[in-house]
Amino acid sequence: MELSQVSVGFAGAVALRKASVSIAPGARLGIVGESGCGKSMLGLCLMGMVPDAGQVTGSIRLNGQELVRAPERVWRRHRARDVAMIFQEPMAALNPLKRVGDTVMEPLMIHEGLSRSTARARALALFEEVGLPDPAARLRQYPHEISGGQRQRVLIALALACNPGLLVADEPTTALDANVALRIIDLLVRLSESRNMALVFISHDLAAVSRATDQMLVMYGGDIVERGPTAQVLAEPRHPYTQGLLGARPGLENRGRTPDGRRKRLVTIPGTVPPLHDLPQGCRFSGRCGQEFAPCARQRPQPTALGQGQEAACHLLSPLHAGHGTCRGAA
Amino acid sequence: MSAPLLQLDGVSRRYRMPRTALLRPPPVLTAVDDVSLTLNAGQTLGIVGESGSGKSTLARMIMAFEAPDEGAVRFQGAGLNRLSGADLRLARRRFQMVFQDPFGSLDPRRRVGWSIAEPLRATGAEDSAARVTQALYQVGLRAGDAQKYPHEFSGGQRQRIAIARAIVTRPALLVADEAVSALDVSVQAQILNLLMDLQEEMGLAMIFISHDLAVVACICDRILVMRNGKSIETGDTGALIAAPRHDYTRSLLVASGIET
Repeated sequence: MELSQVSVGFAGAVALRKASVSIAPGARLGIVGESGCGKSMLGLCLMGMVPDAGQVTGSIRLNGQELVRAPERVWRRHRARDVAMIFQEPMAALNPLKRVGDTVMEPLMIHEGLSRSTARARALALFEEVGLPDPAARLRQYPHEISGGQRQRVLIALALACNPGLLVADEPTTALDANVALRIIDLLVRLSESRNMALVFISHDLAAVSRATDQMLVMYGGDIVERGPTAQVLAEPRHPYTQGLLGARPGLENRGRTPDGRRKRLVTIPGTVPPLHDLPQGCRFSGRCGQEFAPCARQRPQPTALGQGQEAACHLLSPLHAGHGTCRGAA
Repeated sequence: MSAPLLQLDGVSRRYRMPRTALLRPPPVLTAVDDVSLTLNAGQTLGIVGESGSGKSTLARMIMAFEAPDEGAVRFQGAGLNRLSGADLRLARRRFQMVFQDPFGSLDPRRRVGWSIAEPLRATGAEDSAARVTQALYQVGLRAGDAQKYPHEFSGGQRQRIAIARAIVTRPALLVADEAVSALDVSVQAQILNLLMDLQEEMGLAMIFISHDLAVVACICDRILVMRNGKSIETGDTGALIAAPRHDYTRSLLVASGIET
């Protein structure tokens, strides 16, 4: 799947700006950022599910086929078979009146024209593949009878039913307990490897992204502000926003007390994400960035290549403004 | 030596489950099983565990929203479950709670100033605009915000409002049940810092409940780990993180990214 220069605009607001992303078969890509930064909009672009009010421009190609202005009827042929999606709240995504087995069999019967009994056998195999205990009994249960982690596994089985080449997971572990979340992440990684299926993992949880993916994008205000190999970006974040996100996560280094007996405070990013219709003119992050200087308020920074596939859009890193190198790790 | 601020002695809470067979007694779920703890003034205690481990039931008993089936909850030496309704209302001035969902815990049709003053009215204290203004100021909001409605604020600001409401009666104990779990990581850090500020300024004691051990570790002196209603491990934060005695505690450390 290949997105180039994709923008999504709603009356007066830009939800996504000139995003170019290319996803190879079997690749695992993480997308991070705070709420309202455009991560989910990017996910919806991949599924052709941008709300009707949104104006999508640019190019979205799936296996070479242009889909950016494709009608719903065309997208419907690709969903489930080529691209599938799982969501944050597994209870809301399952029909409470349907046995989970029937829910998983439905796309098999509709998209692949299987008979009920063949579909049931496939559903059973899928339940086994996603690690549901006692899969035969699970087929007959209703969503309320199983736990949150198991519901998420059912949804993964449902998404995998028609062997998609790309799975988009939008905050799949946010509603789950920490150790259940770990097991779901490991399952997604294993499935992506065994099926050579691409995985797009959208999350605000950096620890989850670091475990699930090998490439990542950091989004802010509808822009991709930093991208690169996950390990590289997390070890050496270059954009002040990425640095802020990493610093805000409680860890061992900000535990305990300072010499005057006060508890150590966490690093924070001041303020909140501005609404999309009220973003700053220049760099989207200006106004919240602690390292702002002259061009930030006026001029939109362009991505600067930083080596090893990492790039970030920040004036501090741009060769035009060399000498202002207060950015941590700036060469 | 005076009595500790909060003391729980062998507290248990059971719930009767729906009947599964007509003639058999209904099954009983023990949500909290024989938990004891002591909290002194100004201290912070973290309670961690996965969903269903009994953390929130424990919090509800500390807040006297429900009574334990066994054991006693004592606040400043007084047994909370012995108090009459009127006395309990007065006692509630001294302990307040912050909930997880800042959207669900504020009345959407009331101005936030009204919501913040609610504990003052409920505990029979004077409903004064000055107290509300001061509480807003303490959580980093402006006096004018009292005239706005909850939908005009972001999630982090709403959680600040919820905290303002909890501290307006100047309590000695604040119980925060998953108070930062629904927030983005940068907003979460802001709220955690705010809670640390308030704790140091007001000498608040805090019970901080979360499934995320990393969050708990940065704000608490001591940690209590719960599983299936039982307290399985308790200790000073540093010692517990450096050398967890229980495998379950270790799995929580891994899950929160402290240990790999």
